[in-house]
Amino acid sequence: MAARSGMQKKLIIGFFLAPTLLAVLVFNIYPILLNTYVSFTNRNKAHPNPDCSVLLTSLLDPLCWSGFRDRAPKGLAEPYRLAEPVFKNYQELLGNLFTTQSLLALSKLFVIFLPLFLALYFSTRERRSDLPLASPGWIWLYGLLGSILAAFLLDLAAVYQDILQAGDFLVVITRTLLFVALRVPVTFAIGFLLAVILNNPHLSGRTFFRVILFLPWAASSLAILMARVWEFFFRQQGTINQVLALLNVEGKAWLQDPFWALMAILIADVWFSYPFFMVTILGALQSIPNEIYEAAEMDGAGWWRQLFTITLPLIRPAVLPAIVLTSITAFQMFGTAYAITGGGPSMGAGQPGATEFVMVYAYKQIYQSQNYGRATAFAVILFILLFGATLYSMKLSRATKGVTE
Amino acid sequence: MNRKPSLPNAILQYSILILAALFAFYPIWFAVLASGRLGDRLYTLNLLGMFIPTEWTFDNYRVMLFEKPLLTWLKNSLYVASLTTIFSLVISTSAAFALSRFRFYGREFILTLLLAIQTFPGVLSLVAVAQVLTALGLYGKHEGLILAFTAGTLIFCTWNLKGYFDTIPLELEEAAMIDGCGPVQSFVLIALPLARPALAVTALFGFLAGWGDFVFSSVLVPAPDKMKLVVPGLFSLAGSQSVPWGYFAAGAILIILPTIIVFLSLQSFLQSGLTTGGVKG
Repeated sequence: MAARSGMQKKLIIGFFLAPTLLAVLVFNIYPILLNTYVSFTNRNKAHPNPDCSVLLTSLLDPLCWSGFRDRAPKGLAEPYRLAEPVFKNYQELLGNLFTTQSLLALSKLFVIFLPLFLALYFSTRERRSDLPLASPGWIWLYGLLGSILAAFLLDLAAVYQDILQAGDFLVVITRTLLFVALRVPVTFAIGFLLAVILNNPHLSGRTFFRVILFLPWAASSLAILMARVWEFFFRQQGTINQVLALLNVEGKAWLQDPFWALMAILIADVWFSYPFFMVTILGALQSIPNEIYEAAEMDGAGWWRQLFTITLPLIRPAVLPAIVLTSITAFQMFGTAYAITGGGPSMGAGQPGATEFVMVYAYKQIYQSQNYGRATAFAVILFILLFGATLYSMKLSRATKGVTE
Repeated sequence: MNRKPSLPNAILQYSILILAALFAFYPIWFAVLASGRLGDRLYTLNLLGMFIPTEWTFDNYRVMLFEKPLLTWLKNSLYVASLTTIFSLVISTSAAFALSRFRFYGREFILTLLLAIQTFPGVLSLVAVAQVLTALGLYGKHEGLILAFTAGTLIFCTWNLKGYFDTIPLELEEAAMIDGCGPVQSFVLIALPLARPALAVTALFGFLAGWGDFVFSSVLVPAPDKMKLVVPGLFSLAGSQSVPWGYFAAGAILIILPTIIVFLSLQSFLQSGLTTGGVKG
């Protein structure tokens, strides 16, 4: 901004930033510190309260600070202290991660997804080069086919079974990533298809369909309530089975089956999240001038050609952040799974249930088992991974365009 | 791509739209049907009753409104959500103003820090947040909840608003400053009115953080019943075996319908406020 005396400018900036920074410090940074500390302790149902004579506890636990000490809950239970060994919570979480079987399963999983990573790499490179050899659409198609082929050759189901043996952390993370990998493309495809159809100004009843198709987004702000309705559809006496009975097909207890429980959550969550894509893509489509299509038509480009060379590249800048955002919300999905299955069906005692995704697992560890030590260790590992991923994706987007400018 | 479609094409397009519309509308329609059903007949219902209203009663609505604490829950939720909206709008607007209109040492660091820190999952910081609120004597009170919600929305709101402010040309404010306004005054008078779509989206986001939340409100204000917010309150109704499901459906419809109306009226704002600003390059 225009010339101002340095001192005055600093005061203005400080004044306007201070509330945000204070809130971030108390409600974001401090919880991370406390969490990291608790992850090295045995804090759980039997050891809930702080022991203020331990130096680190007295520094980090607010209930030990002199002004607040009288508010600390006084129970008969033993106070928590450092775990023995210190990494105990981490060891329990990571479990059999470093056995041959798990590492082999992980490397197979890597090979299965390799074609997709390669597609990402090559499509980015092709886009930047002046003489593209192939359109990104084809590269992605080959990548997808390669991945599906590899999944069959290496027997994805068996790999998944192996991973289930490798400790809570890997199980929950793999399952959540699988969910993200299914949900994001499906919602994108549905959102894109609907947006393309709705973008046609000659379509009559356009506004009507737009409003109806938009409704789930509004309902998604109360996801946990609508998810209860979805749960009812999949019950043994629910809508789906009743309709199937009409067709003389025997339904099943969908939510008792690990695979179908996951599918039920996927379908319900797609319902909640496709309108966001639809609206974003519709906005992006409307910003493409019609003349480009007319010119392409004049040159004899067909519908598919136009899709891959005009539509998709032009909506990319608007859609990419939406994809990142949706991936994050899919990763942190809680309400849908919690209301539909509550994390079940059970996979055996001491094992996370078949639909315990990251947030559901964390929630159940904290509020049902009150296993704070393990839950916080889980949070710390997760944070390190997500933090790295965020910094990396910021670097990526900065490579194309300045993020902070 | 925007030609008038040929007949087979039009049929295909309409079939897709109609299928999608059924998919989109049916769950809400089902909740409406369930809310008008007598007693707890949901478990013994016939197939037809799942698609059209074969019987109808307003009894569930009457019970929810006058016998169950739904109105108290609604009042609590409105109180918490609207104060959250106001606080988060004021605080994030001022932070976004500083980050968008000034260049200073540490600016880029703060922006990156905000984004990276947000990756720490909210559910997991809840243990510490509950402890901070206990220490402050705000645990189990609505004020503590407002504090936690406001803090939880700040990062997204700040980034979203900053992105939008960046698209408003500085020249307009500079012109005002030549006419004698200070930087703050010219920002408030010139840029803020132009940022209305983004402000609307941010306000909606802040409101929904309090309105739709389940985890924070059920953990930070667990009891008593009349302190609960509406979502955890209703959810506990649906979970208990002794309460007819129709009560839950009626309550859910009563709070989902106004939410839908607000969303529909803000629809155009949502599009421009999210696509122009937003966490992106």
